[in-house]
Amino acid sequence: MTKNPRFRSGLLASLVPFGFNVERWSYVLHRASGVILIGYLAAHLFETFQLSMGQGAWANTMATLHSLGPLEMVGLWIVAGSALYHGANGIRLVLNEMFGMLMGRPIMPVYPYSPTSLGRNQKLAVWATTAVVLVLWLWAGLYLLAGLGVV
Amino acid sequence: MAREHYSLMKESWSMLLTYVTALVLVFVLTIHLLLESPLTGLPLDATLSFGFATGNLIYFKVVFGLLLYAAVIHGISGLRVIALEWLHPRKRTWLLNLLAVALTGFFLALGTYTLVAVA
Repeated sequence: MTKNPRFRSGLLASLVPFGFNVERWSYVLHRASGVILIGYLAAHLFETFQLSMGQGAWANTMATLHSLGPLEMVGLWIVAGSALYHGANGIRLVLNEMFGMLMGRPIMPVYPYSPTSLGRNQKLAVWATTAVVLVLWLWAGLYLLAGLGVV
Repeated sequence: MAREHYSLMKESWSMLLTYVTALVLVFVLTIHLLLESPLTGLPLDATLSFGFATGNLIYFKVVFGLLLYAAVIHGISGLRVIALEWLHPRKRTWLLNLLAVALTGFFLALGTYTLVAVA
């Protein structure tokens, strides 16, 4: 019996949403953005800790970050996108999982299975989330470019 | 069976904590970002100055305290969920829990020290 590659398990397979519906895409993006944010949180806590060491330590930290050049802004832009997506999609998930909103009514599973959790409201919520995030991410990009003096 | 039920209850409390901290984060993170945004009327570089950064920590210490605790608890809890989903540990869940608690404690100690020392 050959294994269907769609149902492989493991770390790498779970990160590949191709061939799956939008819920799987949002699942992967939510986790990927979460991992980026926890990495940033750790770095940000160490960075902020420098404030307690005095003005000199803070100036050194800022100088080190600025020495990265445009990479610093690219990094911040990725963090901004991750935070926007994780936040907006997180609100959708809280509405789903904590309050049971946007979900279809439970039905008997009849072949071919179609997930009631992915009804019209849910799809609309996923695409609305994506649209809002893209607009805000673009705005964040312009703000960061302004910080570089580009625009 | 009772032990399994107890374990599920613990997971349920853990998820509730994740959701509650997420809702707190929506508000306090928005405030944090607004303090650094163009709405302050300052350029990006000015919002990164020592005086501005320490001033924010001093005047908005409650907001930053809430942000610190909510972000660390939510983040480590989320990381633990990802590890559980990917690793499927059957016997060593306690090790993962211990690691999560240790990391949470470390980051909270670091952040709390910063807040107390600056504010």
